[in-house]
Amino acid sequence: MCHGPTPNPGDGGSVPPVSDPILPFLAFDVVALLLLGRFASLLPLAACGFVAAALCGLGALLCLPPLLLGLPPTALALPVGPPGLSLHLALDPLATAFLLNVFLAGTVISAFQASSVPLTKLASVQTSALCLAGIVCSLIAADGVSLAIGIAITCGAMNGPRHRTLMLPLLVLTAVCLLTPAGFAPGFEAIGAAPADPNHATAAGALALLAVAGLIRLGWVTPDPAKADAPERCWTRDALTAGALLPFTAYLLSRLLLDLSGTAGQAWFGLLLLLAGGAAAVADSWRAAADPDIVSAIAALIRRQAGLAMTGIGLALVARAADLPDAAALALQAVFLMAIGGSLAGPLTLLAAHAIGASAGTYRLSRLGGLVHTMPATSAALAAGLLALCALPPSFGFAALWLLFQSILSAPRTGGLPSQLPLALTAAALALSAALATTASVRLIGIALLGRPRTPRGSGARESQSPVRTILLTLAGLSLAVGMLPGATLWLLADPAIRGLTGVPQARPALLAASGAAQGYVALPVLALIALATGVGIMTRRSLKEAKIAGLWADGMKPPAGLPFGEPAAQSTGAGFLPALPAMKLPWMPRMPRLAIVVPARPPSAIAGLWLVLTAFGLLLLVLAATG
Amino acid sequence: MSIVLALLTQLLHIGLMIFAAPTVAGGMDWLDARWSGRSGPPVLLPWHDLLRWFRKTPMLTDDVSIVSRLAPAVGMGATAAAAALVPSFALGMALSPLADGLVVVSLLTIARAAAALAALDSGTARSGVATQQASARAVLAEPALLLSVVALAVMAGSFNLQVIIVQQREGLLLPATASAVCLTAMLALLFAEVSAGEANSDFHAGRALAVARMTGWLRRLIWVDLIGGLFLPAGMAAADAGPLSWLTGLAAWGLKLGMFMVCLSASQKLFGRIARHSLPDVIGVAALLALLAIIMALASAGTA
Repeated sequence: MCHGPTPNPGDGGSVPPVSDPILPFLAFDVVALLLLGRFASLLPLAACGFVAAALCGLGALLCLPPLLLGLPPTALALPVGPPGLSLHLALDPLATAFLLNVFLAGTVISAFQASSVPLTKLASVQTSALCLAGIVCSLIAADGVSLAIGIAITCGAMNGPRHRTLMLPLLVLTAVCLLTPAGFAPGFEAIGAAPADPNHATAAGALALLAVAGLIRLGWVTPDPAKADAPERCWTRDALTAGALLPFTAYLLSRLLLDLSGTAGQAWFGLLLLLAGGAAAVADSWRAAADPDIVSAIAALIRRQAGLAMTGIGLALVARAADLPDAAALALQAVFLMAIGGSLAGPLTLLAAHAIGASAGTYRLSRLGGLVHTMPATSAALAAGLLALCALPPSFGFAALWLLFQSILSAPRTGGLPSQLPLALTAAALALSAALATTASVRLIGIALLGRPRTPRGSGARESQSPVRTILLTLAGLSLAVGMLPGATLWLLADPAIRGLTGVPQARPALLAASGAAQGYVALPVLALIALATGVGIMTRRSLKEAKIAGLWADGMKPPAGLPFGEPAAQSTGAGFLPALPAMKLPWMPRMPRLAIVVPARPPSAIAGLWLVLTAFGLLLLVLAATG
Repeated sequence: MSIVLALLTQLLHIGLMIFAAPTVAGGMDWLDARWSGRSGPPVLLPWHDLLRWFRKTPMLTDDVSIVSRLAPAVGMGATAAAAALVPSFALGMALSPLADGLVVVSLLTIARAAAALAALDSGTARSGVATQQASARAVLAEPALLLSVVALAVMAGSFNLQVIIVQQREGLLLPATASAVCLTAMLALLFAEVSAGEANSDFHAGRALAVARMTGWLRRLIWVDLIGGLFLPAGMAAADAGPLSWLTGLAAWGLKLGMFMVCLSASQKLFGRIARHSLPDVIGVAALLALLAIIMALASAGTA
């Protein structure tokens, strides 16, 4: 997708003049968000959220013309950095599609910050502004250094541990350098002009995968069980991760593995991605179906989308290696659909869960219940978001699953059994993950929102304020619209990017159909069929209003005296659906040693030595890649 | 003209499915009783029950939400939509382009989810426990059914049910062993579904109970139709072939339904119902068989 004149050695590639004012405006938007994050304390707290929402909304509007009018990619060289290594920005269809998602999520989160009562803390406003600035900077970056700077800003804003703040941008920069031809600066244009070495592409892919795993882990912090009922949670961080960071990880993998690696990406690496993504999707959906905490369960359900996106990118790699562009396009359509829908439904569910937790005073499922009576609008929005995330038609989750299965149908043409077996296992993982996600959504809706209140505090929950309700219901409507019109959504927002990555012209915008087949999945007629049959069912029960209201009949027993809500403990608490997934301790990077000028009294530890080896290895890779 | 014929066959198909669902349920009960040496209830007893429930005044507990009021209708709607998509006696019906295997499985899942939400909304202990158990079973059963559909789709190159059925009828759905393994998996799932019994509907009364029961009967008929269509497609008529051809298709469909009823009740009599604690084992075996069918289909395609 990086097209342009042949670059000159020693330069970052010849950059076309700025033919479009949108890119400079986006750069100014990044600077404004950075300034807001740094100097938010100078503004009134309520104004910070509005300013951030306005900046993100402006960014989203700026993304629309390139997407809707199909404007050509533009580039901008910044006069920053040493000669020949100056920073470059670019706006191409791949970046624009993800930029729109991130800006939309940023607008919603900032508006929620401005309208929530009590107002969000200053630190959270700063976190969201800086994080969004970093992600947008990375999305419009056209060279490795700019990309790394954006990721460093994001890591710093998310208050990650210092070693991760340093290591993740370093990993990404090393990956870009590995893909850069010898003698060139690590610019995307130079990389696109020359085919990458397959071994370098594989090493870059492995580093990108590590960086993505680190970013996902950076965003989600496992809550301390001892603080599970803590009233204050960092919901900003959770919503940012769901709405902006997870789509960004999909962008990072698409950019490094599919765009910059070109055709050098190896099929076995795609198979590895398939298995890793499938395993992550199953594990996360299982956690969502078993977790006793509503926010943790929703977070796991959203992380499942990241696993599915990884599977989609793996499928695209495998299909491209087997010269099956149609199958690659289907897999990428699924990735884009999950990114677009996830950036809407992810923040929606987390913000609604936050509103519920703040009003009901707890996030534990076993203490919630009956909220559909006290918080109807918030409950409806949460239910819509959860149904959009699971794999039931006409949600976007089902459309994405359908596309992934369509891509797997090309498996017989990918080669021998060693490459087909992972595809069969991926199909099993997708099916299991879909069933688990549906169970998780039903459990969350049934336990938290339906039934009777389990605690007096829960029965005293109050509906969210009007602005918050408006935000949540708008998001719910958009999430459902993406599911009902998946073909149109992809055609409007992702078609140029998918065409650029696969070379397949996309047809039938309103019909989500397998290429070359007359049949396909069309959400609206399916919805119409369900609605028609449901309408007939309701008409046969036309006496809904005539229904005789009776007292609680709990298996023929009246509620005990003194318990007006019946016996709340008798209701299901959601613990019996599935057993908890056994915790798995994964080896992770060592903790950062304290660096001091003074020679320490005790000798350096083994952890410090391991850290030193890792850093030296990264630097060595960087030097080797830069010198060719 | 062919559009009119396709529309007519579609309407006839929907009407037949609605009519056949309670009748098949009544027939199964009668057969079960006959195998046990009893005279058995009338075959049309489910119809009498439906009428009786429809005449009753509906009752609702005072603290249920709109979900409880709408869930039976939504479940019925999704199941009826799935029934409209699964071919019975004719191919080329008006909705056949929408008859995607994944969509049909997901529509059945919607009905299951609606029933689970209504049960949890009732707020009673027994329905909650029943929902937990049903959900735990579905976590295995739904992937098994999905994998069976994927295995058939890999062989046929499409998820469309009509494409799969046509290839099966013409002997193009290869390898036949994978198809047989897939059939075994789906039969095991059907047997487990029948053994699990009807969904808990203690919290429904009157018309809601009638709709919930009808949904369960229709679901069982969809299973029978799905297996009969995918693995025994003989005698299915073409929608544009005219009414005479439809009569042949109807006769073949009736024969298949009768055969399934006899085989299912006979196997239940011979082997007994599967114990509840053994259901996960049976469903797990079905899932593994479906995965094996996919691998066999892929391996066969790789060596072809």
